[in-house]
Amino acid sequence: MASFKDWALQYVLADEDTTKRGIVAKAAKEIEDSRASSAVVGNWAASVQQWLSTAHASDGDQMDDGDDGDDALNGDIIARAKALSFLADTLEALDRSALRTDQVLRLVGFFGAMFSYDHKAGITASAKALRQLYSMKNFKPDMGAKMIEAVCKIKEDFRLQTAPTRLELYELFLSLIQDPAVSSELQHKYGTSNGFIVDLLQLCQQERDPRNLMVWFKILATLLADYAPSQELTEEIFKTFSAYFPISLRTSATPTGITAEDLKAAVRSCFAAHQRVASLAFPFLMQKLDQGDAVTVAVKVDILRTIKACVENYDHPQTSVVPYIEKIWNSLKYEVRNGEAKETIDATLDVLRAIAIKLDGTKTQKLDVALLKDYIDLVFHDCRDDLSNPTYTKQAGLLLMTVITANIRAYVLENGGFVDCIRQNLRQPKSPSHTRDLLLLINSDLKSRSELVKNRREGHPGDEALLQTEPRAHLDTLFHDVYLPIWVARVEDPDSETVDILKKVTQGLALLISQQVVGSDGQVSLLCSGAICAEVCSLLTQSIVKGLTLSSNDNLANDTALEDEAVLALRTVVTSYTDGYADLANRAKAEIRKREWIYPSQYSLDALKDLLCRLAFIGCSEIPSSVAIDSSTPKSFSPLQHFITLAATLFDLFPLSSPAGPARFTSPLKEPLANSYVISALHSSILHFRDACEAKYPREALASTSGNDSSWFDGFRDLPDDWLQQLQGNGLSDGALDSLSEDDPEVYRQFLRISLFIVRHLYRAASSGAQIPWSERVLAQVGNIAALVVRDLDEKLQLSSNLAFEAFNFFNNSTETSLQQSPAKPLTELLTLGILEGLWPGAMAGLYAPQGIAETFMCDTSNLGPFPSRVSEIRAAIGAVLANKYKGGPSTSDPELQTLRKVLDFWGNQIKLGTTSIDIDTNTFGAYNTIAMYVIAGATARQDKAVLELVPLLHEAIASQHLNGEAVAHSMGILVKGNDLLTTENHAVVKRFYKQWAYGHMAKPLYDRALPTADNDHWAAMRYTTAILSIVSNCPFKVYEDDLEPLIRLLITTLGSRTGLSRQTSRRQVAAALEVLVEILLNEPEALKGHLKAIIGGAINVHQECSLEHADRFKYQVKNATRTSDLYLVTCRKLVLQLLGALPTKFEDRHLLPYSLQMKRMLATASGDPVREVRKVALLARGHWEKVV
Amino acid sequence: MPKADLDNENPTILNVSQLPSRRQKTRSARNGPDSKYDHLLFPKQSWPWAPSKTTSSWPSDDDEDEAMEDAYNDEYTEEPIDEQEIYDLISTISDPEHPHTLGQLSVVRLPDIYVTPSPTERLDPQSLRTVLVELTPTINHCSLATVIGLAVRARLEQALPPNYRVDVRMKDGSHAQDDQVNKQLADKERVAAALENDTLRGMLDKMLETCA
Repeated sequence: MASFKDWALQYVLADEDTTKRGIVAKAAKEIEDSRASSAVVGNWAASVQQWLSTAHASDGDQMDDGDDGDDALNGDIIARAKALSFLADTLEALDRSALRTDQVLRLVGFFGAMFSYDHKAGITASAKALRQLYSMKNFKPDMGAKMIEAVCKIKEDFRLQTAPTRLELYELFLSLIQDPAVSSELQHKYGTSNGFIVDLLQLCQQERDPRNLMVWFKILATLLADYAPSQELTEEIFKTFSAYFPISLRTSATPTGITAEDLKAAVRSCFAAHQRVASLAFPFLMQKLDQGDAVTVAVKVDILRTIKACVENYDHPQTSVVPYIEKIWNSLKYEVRNGEAKETIDATLDVLRAIAIKLDGTKTQKLDVALLKDYIDLVFHDCRDDLSNPTYTKQAGLLLMTVITANIRAYVLENGGFVDCIRQNLRQPKSPSHTRDLLLLINSDLKSRSELVKNRREGHPGDEALLQTEPRAHLDTLFHDVYLPIWVARVEDPDSETVDILKKVTQGLALLISQQVVGSDGQVSLLCSGAICAEVCSLLTQSIVKGLTLSSNDNLANDTALEDEAVLALRTVVTSYTDGYADLANRAKAEIRKREWIYPSQYSLDALKDLLCRLAFIGCSEIPSSVAIDSSTPKSFSPLQHFITLAATLFDLFPLSSPAGPARFTSPLKEPLANSYVISALHSSILHFRDACEAKYPREALASTSGNDSSWFDGFRDLPDDWLQQLQGNGLSDGALDSLSEDDPEVYRQFLRISLFIVRHLYRAASSGAQIPWSERVLAQVGNIAALVVRDLDEKLQLSSNLAFEAFNFFNNSTETSLQQSPAKPLTELLTLGILEGLWPGAMAGLYAPQGIAETFMCDTSNLGPFPSRVSEIRAAIGAVLANKYKGGPSTSDPELQTLRKVLDFWGNQIKLGTTSIDIDTNTFGAYNTIAMYVIAGATARQDKAVLELVPLLHEAIASQHLNGEAVAHSMGILVKGNDLLTTENHAVVKRFYKQWAYGHMAKPLYDRALPTADNDHWAAMRYTTAILSIVSNCPFKVYEDDLEPLIRLLITTLGSRTGLSRQTSRRQVAAALEVLVEILLNEPEALKGHLKAIIGGAINVHQECSLEHADRFKYQVKNATRTSDLYLVTCRKLVLQLLGALPTKFEDRHLLPYSLQMKRMLATASGDPVREVRKVALLARGHWEKVV
Repeated sequence: MPKADLDNENPTILNVSQLPSRRQKTRSARNGPDSKYDHLLFPKQSWPWAPSKTTSSWPSDDDEDEAMEDAYNDEYTEEPIDEQEIYDLISTISDPEHPHTLGQLSVVRLPDIYVTPSPTERLDPQSLRTVLVELTPTINHCSLATVIGLAVRARLEQALPPNYRVDVRMKDGSHAQDDQVNKQLADKERVAAALENDTLRGMLDKMLETCA
């Protein structure tokens, strides 16, 4: 039993929080175990008696002595405070239901008394204890009232307490007054006078701590909202919080985590707590606002937001808001009319909109329409005249728009008047900018209308009915009365001002066409009749086909802004008025057909490119919706319709010219370009539609298989090649497409299906053997389309469509899928690449069977042709993909992991042969080496262990005396070079650290061998250097940062001497070395500090050499008009200047001063470099060195 | 500087987009709403990842790779220093009075810059050329004309190679005392002395701060 006393003592003496927690846990357990018998609780409470009894005596002493009490006294206070904490902490650890009602009551009394007696030691612990007691199960509401009463006795000493103590008390108050039981007890006890509130207000005035204020404001808001204080008391409360307005926060050394915005919001919630402060709040806020220039923008915004919060939150707007509307309006209108700061204008409009919404009523109950009407009339009356004044047109319109489009009722009521008013002004505009502003207003009005119609179901149910009865005469006539006359009058000869106006008209037309109306049966249809829609379409189409209809001499418009606007407008138009797109496509087709495409001019080509791109963008960058033109003729429409229309049109156009024979193509450049543009447009439409799908449907839309996957692709076999044309032309129905609605994610899958059909069609045609129009550009483009489409299919679909084999079979209906030996045109391998690029490794497993397609293909050295040739490059790229997506192992068709090993061995041997035997000429070896390196690169990205076995062989080849060794050394960079084919987007297997891996195995072991010493082969050392530089210059800095010391030595040697290499290689090598040096300088300049002399000297030499060589060329080629100069010469010069120019930004002047003069001289000459880009770098460098003094 | 001291309180200011620049001369690639994918649709080469781009496995001296040729044509063509380049160098100098550049205030104008012999003539890179810049002060009694002239001179001397001679003058009739100003600007010793003057140097540095 005596243990409580011991525990209390231990607690008082303890410093560690954990010890304390252990002690109170024991005490709590003791009480709980005894089921809170009176004796135990009594003992527990009495355990602190020894500190309390001295307390009263010394407390009194201290009061007499004043504040300079001695240490012993303070020690007592601390001990006493700790003793009380012991009790408070025990309460916290105690089970909530342990104490009985009478015990709780007594404890409330005990701790409550501390507020009268012990202001120094007792308050913190008591506050905490009281909060614990409040949470006890046996806490009764009347105790709450007692607590408040007791605490208020502390009076002035309240503000002497520490902020955390006060916070405890604020939290206690808040819990108490928010508690419904306590609240009714308080109201019962104090009646309407709410005397305790007065005490609280007195207690808590002058609070300044931000965290406490947050709670205090919450208390005040609760008191206002829930306690029905009398008029006088309301005024008192209002005074208390309004004194803080506008609140700000000083930056403090110990941030509390509370921001000025939090405080502002808290005060705001007090203002908006209840309509009973309306009569005080509005005049107060208006008076603050009307102080004029003294109010900063931030404060103004705060005031406006507070007004808005009040308007939004007050109930009974008839009495709380309506009486102040006129005053608010009169103050606020100038903020917009003459305002400059965007923030205040926006905040003001928010207030005005909030009023309009409030006056409309709530979702469930509408208010008297007269309130809203009076308000809008008030605004209208003041703004009407401003509309005819160009200076204020925009602002007045903004104000009107804000209130009229705030809700449907206001819109239906007043919009006609607003539009008529603008229309009148448009008849007599004061200036072009006036016209532009007025058009802007009509456009915004239409935009807002769309929003209102779209959200019509979210508000009061009566809103939709209102929309059905909306008067539309003013909208119906907009086209013929407003837009068309302005367009016709200006379109012929636009200058910069009228272009602005025409742009607005264009935007307006798009908005007008997309307007929907709600019919009496609730059905939605387009506002404009079909005739108007068609007219608008043709008007806009005119400006985008203009390029083709006019000749280059007539089409002088350099600025495409208006055309771009028309493109955007048409896109909006055809998403609603869907018939428009077919007309547009037909018109474009007709215009294109009118021209001759066998020998097109550059102008025609540009025009064709623009037109086709725009066509694709208009039809495919948004998924069209099916809205009837008028309510009488509902029609079925597929969201894929535009895409199909465009694809069919492009197929119709392709190829653009049907020549009599290939011999007629004397201009090899132009003809394929025109045809490739058609394919580009197809590509573009797929890209755009894909984006639209991505934006609209969740990504999972593709993963969900709807069970008919196998028929997905097989279905194509029976379809005729002109299936799309049929689908578009005579409404051939395809079950899967007809039933689609625009919100159905199935659209995405169907889109991919049709795209795959398009790919199939193109592949079949391209592989048929015709040379024309299947140029390299077109084939590459088709391959890209295939990659794009295939990439989006999941592994299952790729497998079921047998795409891995189709990559080699080109979708031809032959029954056996085998590698076609020596295809008609080697370039068709581009098609193979296209599909393989997008496949998942899993979908390709079938290719890797021993002696299978992949192996045969990767080891194929036939028909490579002279090097460098496209064939070897394409084959190299395919090799890289095949080697990368290789999946061998027990569960695949290559269980022994044989295939790739064989392939790598094969190429290893080829390299070995090429660098030892003299029979293989450099050209053939070049082709072999390219393919070999790409195949190895594919495997390297996957970190295939088989690659490591090749390393010794490669190193040997590099060092070989044979000339071909240089090619191997130089191409080592391919292994680590970033490659667009090997990206995760293309489902390639790319290990995260493969570059480090490759560098570690290929380059790192070469450092020692690359330094020329007496006993190693100088020749081999040069080669090793080449290989290292080739790898390092293709790696990010992080990869080689550990080997900077040997690397820098190597780099400096490279700058200095380059004997033993061909001229071209040596130049490349210098360029690579400079690149790496720049990289090191950027990332770790310290490493270069000791080598500055060598680097600067070497770099200047390189620059001189390059400049001299250029000067020599100049001398001998003066008459050569083409002026081709060596790229590496320029690159080296630029890199030298970049490197040297950046030195002053990285090193202190004292390190650079010795070279300053030399550098300035060199840079002065360099700023006369023949290449502008280099001059720019030189200028920058000069600026940096100028500062070195 | 207090407002009342401004020589010309209300100069005409051109928008940056209205200033002559190289961009407007060549018809730039169209940048419409539909051009988002132009880099994919109309690549310079028929396939963008051509292996030969920089790591071609075989170096050959005679024929440049197509890829390099392209990059070369884009960025690395040889172009002599022309009037536009001189304009770009000095039009970005700030006016000492207004928060605008000399280009925006039309103090420096493209037609008033002359390079002789003309940059289109291909001469030996080391041969001597002269750059003449005629300035038009915003008002004809501008007291800061010499300072502006000095700044233009300093900028050009910092930026041009040694074989370019710089001559800065006031345009005929544009300044009440153009003779005197021109004399000052042409006098090497006075220019050198002016550049030694700390106050003047500070002012010039401030004006040249906005030069890229």
